[in-house]
Amino acid sequence: MKASLTFHKLMVGLLVIYLLIPLVGTLLFSIAGKWDHTILPESYTMKWYIELFQDERFYDAFRRTLFLIVMSVGLSVVIMLPTIFIITVYFSKWEGFLQAAAMLPYGIPPIVGAVGLIKVYSDGPIQIAGTPWILIGAYFITILPFMYQGIRNSLRTVNAVQLVDAAELLGATKFQAFRTVVFPNIISGILVSTLLSVALLFSEFAFANLLVGGRFETIQIYLADKLNSSGHLTSAIVITYYSMILLLTGTVLKLSFRKEKNPVVSNKNRILSLFKKQYRHKNTALEGEK
Amino acid sequence: MSYVTIDQVTKGYENQVVLNNISITLKKGEFATLLGQSGCGKSTLLRSIAGLEGVDAGRILIDGIDITNLSPRQREVGMVFQSYALFPNMSVFDNIAYGLKMKKVKNIKSRVKKIIEMVDLIGKEESYPHQLSGGQQQRVALARALVMEPKVLLLDEPLSALDAKIRKSLQKELKRIQKELDITTIFVTHDQEEAMTMSDRIFVMNNGQVVQSGSPSEVYTSPVNTFVAKFIGNYNVYDMEVFRKIVRNRELKGTEVAIRPEVLQLVSVGEDSLDLQENWGIKGFIKDVSMTGNVLRYEVETEESAFHVDYLHHRGKMFEQGALVHILVPKKECIIL
Ligand SMILES: Nc1ncnc2c1ncn2[C@@H]1O[C@H](COP(=O)(O)OP(=O)(O)O)[C@@H](O)[C@H]1O
Ligand SMILES: [Mg+2]
Repeated sequence: MKASLTFHKLMVGLLVIYLLIPLVGTLLFSIAGKWDHTILPESYTMKWYIELFQDERFYDAFRRTLFLIVMSVGLSVVIMLPTIFIITVYFSKWEGFLQAAAMLPYGIPPIVGAVGLIKVYSDGPIQIAGTPWILIGAYFITILPFMYQGIRNSLRTVNAVQLVDAAELLGATKFQAFRTVVFPNIISGILVSTLLSVALLFSEFAFANLLVGGRFETIQIYLADKLNSSGHLTSAIVITYYSMILLLTGTVLKLSFRKEKNPVVSNKNRILSLFKKQYRHKNTALEGEK
Repeated sequence: MSYVTIDQVTKGYENQVVLNNISITLKKGEFATLLGQSGCGKSTLLRSIAGLEGVDAGRILIDGIDITNLSPRQREVGMVFQSYALFPNMSVFDNIAYGLKMKKVKNIKSRVKKIIEMVDLIGKEESYPHQLSGGQQQRVALARALVMEPKVLLLDEPLSALDAKIRKSLQKELKRIQKELDITTIFVTHDQEEAMTMSDRIFVMNNGQVVQSGSPSEVYTSPVNTFVAKFIGNYNVYDMEVFRKIVRNRELKGTEVAIRPEVLQLVSVGEDSLDLQENWGIKGFIKDVSMTGNVLRYEVETEESAFHVDYLHHRGKMFEQGALVHILVPKKECIIL
């Protein structure tokens, strides 16, 4: 018992180290002055960050990336949530079709997709090739599998169909049922896939480069450009956007736990109780005292 | 005048008929049970009454109104689901008040309070469903349906997820509340004992059809076919061909015979007082004895066949495994099918 616990801790520890080393390396490099023949840098400096934060291009790129992400993820939630809800609840026959459609993007490499998109949208009725709009469209498709899975699983987990049945029998319309009993229960599940999508799009390069490139410089294109000038600076960029994602994740998680007293308290408790279950054998004494 | 009428309702999925020409009528205030094995269409029938499923043919009337084509929210029926379907984001109070809020009625608070008292949930108003035990969740689901004062209450195996002890006490309570409110109730179960203890009337279902209906004792003492006999009463059922050989009587008619296990009597071989006027006597030996609480169940093997025989578990007298016995089969208790 004891030995296996130590073993587990060791494995988890090793995994964490394995995952963190590149990040720590990047962090060190971004604040390193001179670092040639030693394990740790010989001197430290903040000048790369200062340089980065004084660069207007960085802010612009950041803003553009944010715009793209908010637009595509927002669009995805607004379109996919009702679609998946309606299909799972009322047209379950079509679910397989929707699932297949949502998985298609996995099958198409970005380069092929990009070339096709440029071809289709460079003439004809919708000429948006080279504009951010085509990128938003492509991003919508990129995150489709995540959003689809996330939303569908959330609906399944809370047994949305039955909740709607129950609400309807109690006099709610279908829309009221969705708003009052389905939505509040799936929101935290959807936030997770939203976050995943945001993180994914933050580091998207292929589509951005091929579809709009320098005409609408995103953070990744800016990063690629700076890669040629200084490794220290690129490290600083990477660390900066990692911190941004971390901050974002933290905020959203915190929000999802607090917003309104009721549903979220219960969500929090549910998640906490999951953790508790795993550690029950350890703190039975504590539980007994309650 | 019947209060609920289900008139020749038929429903199928793709190529499978799930409800086959079902007709049921209920009086106001009646406690009816749909009893049948899993998959026989009980839930589908209940959901059709609630309006959660459409029917292919037939009509459903409640209180004289044809509700066949109304939406669930217009039907004024309440339903408790097998898995309760409580709203996880709402407290007990809000769960119960939900329907009243949707209907925008007045004095929600007092109505919810009254029903919370009735189902014995005082003190749990602010709890969330995941903080409640299975039995408590079941009460919330019941209260949530009852507070709407529905014309008909539908219960889809509401007790089957609970353990035996809680189940027994909730059976009693459910029955008490039902009588108190005098609410017409359709209860679904696959447990014949539960059906017997609770119902005014039982509808035995098999393969999407109602095969027999009647009071619990009617259904128990005079099953109309082998299925009901086996399902309801644990009857000994024999092919008539075999039974003629067992009792050495060629005159018997019919295709099958059913005999309740508790009407059979065992007499040790060697004891003389066999009443062979009223009974058939069959020689056999005790192959197995098992005990289910207060009932002793003997498996008795005879030359041609086997019987199970139920005895109340009295102190003292008990046949040992392997003992040679006569089985006394009362002639008038043999139900010819
Ligand atoms: N939505 C559905 N689609 C296809 N078949 C279904 C559906 N719902 C139920 N069935 C079928 O109908 C039959 C009866 O189901 P149900 O009414 O749930 O039985 P019970 O409640 O008596 O166990 C089963 O054979 C089941 O497979
Ligand atoms: Mg069922």
